[in-house]
Amino acid sequence: MVEVIITHDGNNWIARNEILSVAAETLEILDAELRKLIKQKIYCKTNEKMRVLMTFDNSTFPQWMRQYAQHYFNRIIEVDS
Amino acid sequence: MEALTNRRWYSGMRTQEDWWSVWLGLAFFFLGLLSVTGVDLVGWVTYPSKWGGTVPLVKGLNPLGKVYQSLGPMGSLAATYIIFTIATCIGAASMKWNVKKYLAGWTIIFIITYAVWVAGHHVFLAANITNRAQYGLSYSLSLGGGGSYILALLVGLIIGNFFKKFAAFLSEAAKPEWFIKTAIVFLGVKVGYMAMKAADFVFELAITGAAATIVAYLIFWPGTYLLARKFFKLPRKTAAVLSSGISICGVSAAVATGGAVRAKPLIPVMVSTLIVVYAVIELVILPPLFTATLINEPIVAGASMGMSVKTDGADAAAGAVMDELMRNRKENLDGTKWEEGWITTSAIMTKIWIDMFIGLWAFVLALVWVYKIDRIPGEHVPASEVWHRFPKFVLGYFFTWFAYLGILFLAPDLTDSAKVGAVPVEKGMRKLFFMLTFVSIGIITDFKKLAEAKFGKMVFIYFIALFLFILPVALVVGYIFHHGMTVPTVTP
Repeated sequence: MVEVIITHDGNNWIARNEILSVAAETLEILDAELRKLIKQKIYCKTNEKMRVLMTFDNSTFPQWMRQYAQHYFNRIIEVDS
Repeated sequence: MEALTNRRWYSGMRTQEDWWSVWLGLAFFFLGLLSVTGVDLVGWVTYPSKWGGTVPLVKGLNPLGKVYQSLGPMGSLAATYIIFTIATCIGAASMKWNVKKYLAGWTIIFIITYAVWVAGHHVFLAANITNRAQYGLSYSLSLGGGGSYILALLVGLIIGNFFKKFAAFLSEAAKPEWFIKTAIVFLGVKVGYMAMKAADFVFELAITGAAATIVAYLIFWPGTYLLARKFFKLPRKTAAVLSSGISICGVSAAVATGGAVRAKPLIPVMVSTLIVVYAVIELVILPPLFTATLINEPIVAGASMGMSVKTDGADAAAGAVMDELMRNRKENLDGTKWEEGWITTSAIMTKIWIDMFIGLWAFVLALVWVYKIDRIPGEHVPASEVWHRFPKFVLGYFFTWFAYLGILFLAPDLTDSAKVGAVPVEKGMRKLFFMLTFVSIGIITDFKKLAEAKFGKMVFIYFIALFLFILPVALVVGYIFHHGMTVPTVTP
């Protein structure tokens, strides 16, 4: 399982961890970019199916709002090598 | 800035207001519970009583515990300030807020809170027809404790709307949801020992509250979504977020739904700004309206409030104001003295049920959106989403409720000593945190935001859905489930 933090800067969704960072206008494009990066460079050395856990960074929301709701979403995507 | 993510089931226990309302609530609950050993560790909390007329101001504030009477008004006020300052600053530091800014804001909000709390207990505002003569008055406004709540909201709103720089300065400490969730944990203590007197009533409230949940999710939400989509042509995701905000539990529902449908965060942010303002409008309008029209159906009024007013803070606050207004009106009308807290509890009980299911609802929405609407290939929705969206303060509320219920049923000989520690928590601390909520809600509410063009037709959809659909349906449903339920009367 690869873990990345996901956030939104007003224009793009951004997924990042210590090793990678990807930005895209839609989640679908973001997923595709992320899959490409993972396959090409980093993780998929073997023929295994890999899962990517995206945890949303709640600090994206203004501080006054965080007292009302502390979770936006986590999502998992699958990457086939 | 450090990312705030929910990676594990225990994520957020040190960094989220929701969890901190549990820690604060339980800390003082356990201190109160120690009274069963004969030690009162919570009676220092200072509490206002009626003053004016024949009663001097100095009698208007006193510690609730007998053993702390020697502290006097200023001593107990100082103790209350110091202890809650330390407790909330630990929370603020743990949540990585700016503690210096929090401390400054908290101190000012605390002073304002006690000032208006005491002012609101002036007999001209608080006394009613049955007791005004003993204060030497021939006329009074009969607002009971409601006068303090109204004053607190007014002062907060004046700051929030006319002294915006000052409001921004206070904003680090103006946390109505944190305060109200802590108050609701304290309320669990009250419900626990109220259940001893009227177990059937509490049980019925809980069951009918659950029924109301079905209404919020299955009638309000589809109706509002349809209105937003068919008549106002809102985009699908915006309509879903707005519908949840208006129909279910305000900001928390809007954010949960935004996440479920993978909306850009800007959408729930915009909707939430609208919700907070509308919730305050409801808080101002509904308590006097229901008091005037539903005096014979107080629990219908409370439950309808729970279904209509969004955000926990505004709902609990509206319930508390109505509790005071209705009890005093009833006493004025026919001399009947209703017990304090039942109307507030009916408003909160309904809301808590609604809150609890938001995680499940958002999970279902996420499944529908991810697998049927967006169909992004290879995406999965983790089941842990239900837990991450579950309101944690509810755990504290039920824990304190069942703990006191357990003591009273299983060890009835401890009832009197348990009450010594319970009263300062459920009365003094709960109402203090209600008052802090009123002041804070006012401070963070800027009515001018409603006029901002970016909301566009959402302002009208909200107005129509709330006042022409949700409120009438809430009253009908409240009547179906709660009619005939009356508030237990004070036993001499």
